[in-house]
Amino acid sequence: MAPSEAPQPTLWDGVRDYFRQDLLPLLADLRLAIVLLLAIAAFSISGTVIEQGQTLEFYQTNYPQDPALFGFLSWKVILTLGLDHVYRTWWFLALLIVFGASLTACTFTRQFPALGAAQKWKYYTQPRQFQKLALSAELSETDLASLSRRLNQRRYRVFQDGNQLYGRKGIVGRIGPIVVHASMLLILAGAILGAMTGFFAQEIVPSGETFQIRNIFDAGPWAEAQIPKDWSVRVNRFWIDYSPEGNIDQFYSDLSVLDRAGDEIDRKTIFVNQPLRHKGVTLYQADWGVAAVQVKLNNSPVLQLPMQQLENDGPRFWGTWLPTKPDMSEGVTLLASDLQGSVLIYDNAGQLISTVRKGMAAEVNGVRLSLVDVVGSTGLQIKADPGIPLVYGGFGLLMLGVIMSYVSHSQVWALAQEGTVYVGGRTNRAQVAFERELLALLEAVSADANEAELAEASVS
Amino acid sequence: MDLIALQGWLDNASFAVLFAAMLLYWCGVAFPKATVLPSLGTAAMAVGNLTVAALLGARWIEGGYFPMSNLYESLFALTWGITAMHLVAERMSRSSLVGAVTAPIAMAIAAFATLTLPDTMQGSEPLVPALKSNWLMMHVSVMLLSYAALLVGALLAIAFLLVTRGQAVELKGSSVGTGGFRNVKLRRAEDAAEASTVMTMSTGGAAVLEKPATVTLSPQRLTLADTLDNISYRMIGLGFPLLTIGIIAGAVWANEAWGSYWSWDPKETWALITWLVFAAYLHARITKGWQGRRPAILAATGFVVVWVCYLGVNILGKGLHSYGWFF
Repeated sequence: MAPSEAPQPTLWDGVRDYFRQDLLPLLADLRLAIVLLLAIAAFSISGTVIEQGQTLEFYQTNYPQDPALFGFLSWKVILTLGLDHVYRTWWFLALLIVFGASLTACTFTRQFPALGAAQKWKYYTQPRQFQKLALSAELSETDLASLSRRLNQRRYRVFQDGNQLYGRKGIVGRIGPIVVHASMLLILAGAILGAMTGFFAQEIVPSGETFQIRNIFDAGPWAEAQIPKDWSVRVNRFWIDYSPEGNIDQFYSDLSVLDRAGDEIDRKTIFVNQPLRHKGVTLYQADWGVAAVQVKLNNSPVLQLPMQQLENDGPRFWGTWLPTKPDMSEGVTLLASDLQGSVLIYDNAGQLISTVRKGMAAEVNGVRLSLVDVVGSTGLQIKADPGIPLVYGGFGLLMLGVIMSYVSHSQVWALAQEGTVYVGGRTNRAQVAFERELLALLEAVSADANEAELAEASVS
Repeated sequence: MDLIALQGWLDNASFAVLFAAMLLYWCGVAFPKATVLPSLGTAAMAVGNLTVAALLGARWIEGGYFPMSNLYESLFALTWGITAMHLVAERMSRSSLVGAVTAPIAMAIAAFATLTLPDTMQGSEPLVPALKSNWLMMHVSVMLLSYAALLVGALLAIAFLLVTRGQAVELKGSSVGTGGFRNVKLRRAEDAAEASTVMTMSTGGAAVLEKPATVTLSPQRLTLADTLDNISYRMIGLGFPLLTIGIIAGAVWANEAWGSYWSWDPKETWALITWLVFAAYLHARITKGWQGRRPAILAATGFVVVWVCYLGVNILGKGLHSYGWFF
């Protein structure tokens, strides 16, 4: 047998052929895109109906196996499918990746060719070409010059070659969808980058203390480089402004960023909606608590007692226990519910003895207890997300793209032949507005012709 | 001037005016010869729009903050948006059918806010710290405007489905431009019937048509169904960018305030679902074999989705996005 000249199809060729002939057309299929959009919507709905991120007991109580909700929705099904954390399951993320692939495929196999076709317009050279346009007409006694002028008035870009004319406007309407798709890809890429390299942390810090970011509760696999090691933050002061009715108006933290030597390199007072940013890390005002209470017993120096949040439903309370005898046989419980400067005093039997305000004193167990201050602690949400520039870029382009996509791409053709001018046009989106525009155009051109005729008649 | 008494008067007035608008539009459909009825309907919608605007303005002055922060205010803001979008759609389509579907919804929302909501939920209350931001105005107003545009678009799609029930239809208008071509079958029938017809133009057209012997090319006009469908498409096309901008404004605000631009909270998720459903609608229009009534059915589904996004989430639970609910 003679060796064949044709090279054996390699695995790579097979993959390429499969990609070009099977995978790409499938991904670019609009029906797949619609199914994907609706599937993402449907799975998102499941995440708003089934409670997310609860404990095992919660699902066991609320979704018993017998009788299962709708006959199948038991806690086992929910946990197996990951319906307790829909938006982080592998299949939801896979759906998003297929969606991204579909966007990309569609951009290259549909949108760019469509834009190219729109830019490579052709004159109509035969009257019969006008017959296929719904909005077409034939006019006598008129000329292309008048049509061209009228089209220019309506902001068409007009091209003319002898007896042929083409006008168009709104080609941005063809570019818009491409921008939309590209920006969606940018947002997806930014989200992936952020999930891989970003982190989230929370710190509860008493007023006056310095901390390093340590309590990280969510970090991507490559987040290590983002976590700050050479700087720390000091909470100079934390306070709450209350409205006259006693509601919280706003909470503030005066923060200083310190370098290794403890020198201040940045300082800002943050509040909700006004975070502090330093080296890609952002600190947000998120929560607050009562850290400690400062009291004096008789003429003692100021004692600072840390307060703990009590475990109860409803309004939040912080409490501590204060001995009133040296042998600790007697004492009182101090409770605070906010930073407005009043503390409730309970005896060991749980009876309310007194309420004391900042700067005031109360007599308990024969001791004068004066309240110096209630020290607050600030709850900070800390995060770094290196994907933000990409996401914001995508947001900007997406807004631009959807606005551009509203514009309708309108085209008008005309051909002057044997004393007749054939005019026709079409648009891709605003059919009603375009119909009105084209009819008005035809009318204006006819009026021009009439005027010209009248002028001619009066001259002769 | 007593702003609270004025508000009480204005919210009842807006309900009454919108109710009148609905009756006028419906009578206009029932008696097509009485052309004055739809014009009066338009006037009533415009008055309703101004009344609601005055109500919200009085609230703004009284409360001292942007009046879209509880359910009552946001319902009236939505009513304002729907009446405004109605006027846009009516101007675009020049069809009085638009009002026959939009007026009842505008009236129903105003009625719900005025008559059904308990008094405790109608008063204006101070903002919580998280909402004290200029982003509130940007995010909430754009979102409500987008809901209004999408609702009007979806209502027109429902009207289209009613008008074309039992018919096979070919859509016009999509981003790739499937419309704009002559319906050949229809054209031939026309030619046979009116071989020497004049162009369907009014004045000025007569001088043009002096060759009656051959078949003259004349514009093929859009039918009522075409018009409804296209205006529905244009209104959704207007609402979609607004929805996109509104969601992005919310995402940027969340990122600036709390450090996360997306946290899958129920309202966020439903806004995304709305976005996805209308994105599917826009894509269905350019899909071969899916033209006709199918996209309109998707748009009509979108009507329900917008309502779930807007109200359903309040019933579902608490959070920054909850305006509260009363049972």
